[in-house]
Amino acid sequence: MIRRLGNLLMRNLTARLVILLMLALMLITGVNDYSRLTQERERLAGQMQEDVRIFSETLALAVRQNVRRGRTTDELRELLDEILARPGLEAVVIFGPDGKVIASSIAPNSPDPQADDLVRTTLGSRRPAAQALETEGGRILRHVQPFRWPTGGRTAAIEVRQTLVAMEQDYRRAVRERVLSRLAVLAAFVLSVVALTRWNIGRPIRALIAGAQAIGHGNLGQRIELTRRDEIGQLADEFNRMAGNLQDANRQLIHEATERLRLEQEAQQAQKLAAVGMLAAKVAHEIGTPLNVISGRAEVLARSIPPEQPGLRHLDVILGQTERITRIIRTLLDYTRPKRPNLVPIEILPTLGRVASLLMERGRRREVRILLEVPTGLPEVQADPDQLQQLFLNLVQNALDASPPGSAVRLAAGEAPLLPEEGRAGIRRGEVDSACLAIHVLDQGGGLAAEELEKVFEPFFSTKVDGRGTGLGLAIVEEIARAHRGAVELLSIPGRGTEAIVRLPLAAGPELPAEAPPHA
Amino acid sequence: MGRNRRILIVDDDTEMRALLTDVLQNEGYEVAEARDGAEAVLALRAKHFDVILMDKNMPGPSGLDLLPGFRRVCPQSPIIMMTAFGDVPSYMEAIEKGAVEFLFKPFRMEELKAAIAKVVAQDAGSPA
Repeated sequence: MIRRLGNLLMRNLTARLVILLMLALMLITGVNDYSRLTQERERLAGQMQEDVRIFSETLALAVRQNVRRGRTTDELRELLDEILARPGLEAVVIFGPDGKVIASSIAPNSPDPQADDLVRTTLGSRRPAAQALETEGGRILRHVQPFRWPTGGRTAAIEVRQTLVAMEQDYRRAVRERVLSRLAVLAAFVLSVVALTRWNIGRPIRALIAGAQAIGHGNLGQRIELTRRDEIGQLADEFNRMAGNLQDANRQLIHEATERLRLEQEAQQAQKLAAVGMLAAKVAHEIGTPLNVISGRAEVLARSIPPEQPGLRHLDVILGQTERITRIIRTLLDYTRPKRPNLVPIEILPTLGRVASLLMERGRRREVRILLEVPTGLPEVQADPDQLQQLFLNLVQNALDASPPGSAVRLAAGEAPLLPEEGRAGIRRGEVDSACLAIHVLDQGGGLAAEELEKVFEPFFSTKVDGRGTGLGLAIVEEIARAHRGAVELLSIPGRGTEAIVRLPLAAGPELPAEAPPHA
Repeated sequence: MGRNRRILIVDDDTEMRALLTDVLQNEGYEVAEARDGAEAVLALRAKHFDVILMDKNMPGPSGLDLLPGFRRVCPQSPIIMMTAFGDVPSYMEAIEKGAVEFLFKPFRMEELKAAIAKVVAQDAGSPA
């Protein structure tokens, strides 16, 4: 129960406000009421005492008059009995100057009168005195009033006992009424506060909550309709503004992602084309030699057969068909040959940046970071931007595929290899004979053994499992590097990682021609 | 000339080597074969060759890779490169690295003989 209440207080603004407010109010009014009631009680008591005193004085005069007129004790007692009829009186007693009871009238439950200290003090001091007593019947007030005995000038006294019970009952009733009315007021107040809070604060807050939830569920078009200008209205305005920003940012993200996807697909397409081109070239390479052997042998055979022999015809056919095969392959190569590189002076950093951006998503999926540590201000290289992009795309893709999650692929510039020499094996393709720029692609993967390194540039050689690689990536890298008059070197330490170093001739070097050499 | 012209054939394909050897020996040349760069170096150290006929596509160092070294070590042995047709960038590179002639496979045996004869004649005509 306590826990439920605690929960309610934590979660419901209205409940918290209301309960705290109620407690505060109850405390304040309670203290106020208590002090007022106490004052009232004291005032009533004082009032009562004053009443009793006045009554006693008057009674004393009346008794004195009666005594002077010579009334007897019995007559005095009759007088007292009549007086006792006054509501609230418990006893009236006349004490003579010597302290003896001359006459008295006592209510049934009241104790017998006696000349105790109170009476004797009064007789001696000639001043009235009062006392409050607890009896069986409740609290009573004793008032002893002195008066001058008619004869002899001595002091006698009258004791009046007044019950306080009624007064106290009244007091208690007054307290009850006061408390009840207070509670009623509080309840009314609390209800109106609750209603007001719910309507004025709770409702807009609930609207805000609903709005935030809608946005959380992806409905970014949600807006809050509030037409107030206070803090809650401002909050709603800011909320709407934030939702608008989120929507814009979301659209932007989608747009960028679509764009990146498009670029990635284009790059993939280019890669496929390049791969097919490599395939065709590889086919041409491989077919060239056996074809040469066939036609060569046919030629030799034809030479040894006299011209009129019918068998010569067959050899002519063989030769003719081999030439046809050659034409077919040449046609295929023409379609798919990688374009001659269009070498221009370019900065390498933008290309590397594009490559890193294209592969960012793939890296993120594999939990591998791509660190571009190439500084600005490097000298320009003589290169074809698209082919260069393809080259580094292949290298960084290989690096990513080899990297374990949590590692990083680094792109750096500089002459010296980044991998230490110990345990390192390497293979180089192509060579640069002029000033060049060296770019390194370093991964922290499993590395390659020396035997694998030997074959790594061969087309269709792949270390990737499940045949995921085409086996042509590095072959294409070598092809592009050579086409750029550059070189590619692969260094690896098994268990530590692999580093690819691409060396490209600088633009406008003194020994190099300004444009690519013409083809025959 | 006192002796026959000597030709070194460097190609990893066995049938190709056999064909070239047959044809060239038939023409009267003395022919030696090498499968790769290493065997070629051994052969070049042993004898002088008048012509080196080298394939570009070989496992290990390619013909293009070996070209500058051979030109340096035996400048008296002109080199004819062979490669698959369509490999035009290799053509440019080979010429620049010092090959004197180029043959695209498949080539006619007539073409081969003509190329060798031309290179030999040039060699004979050039100052010693």
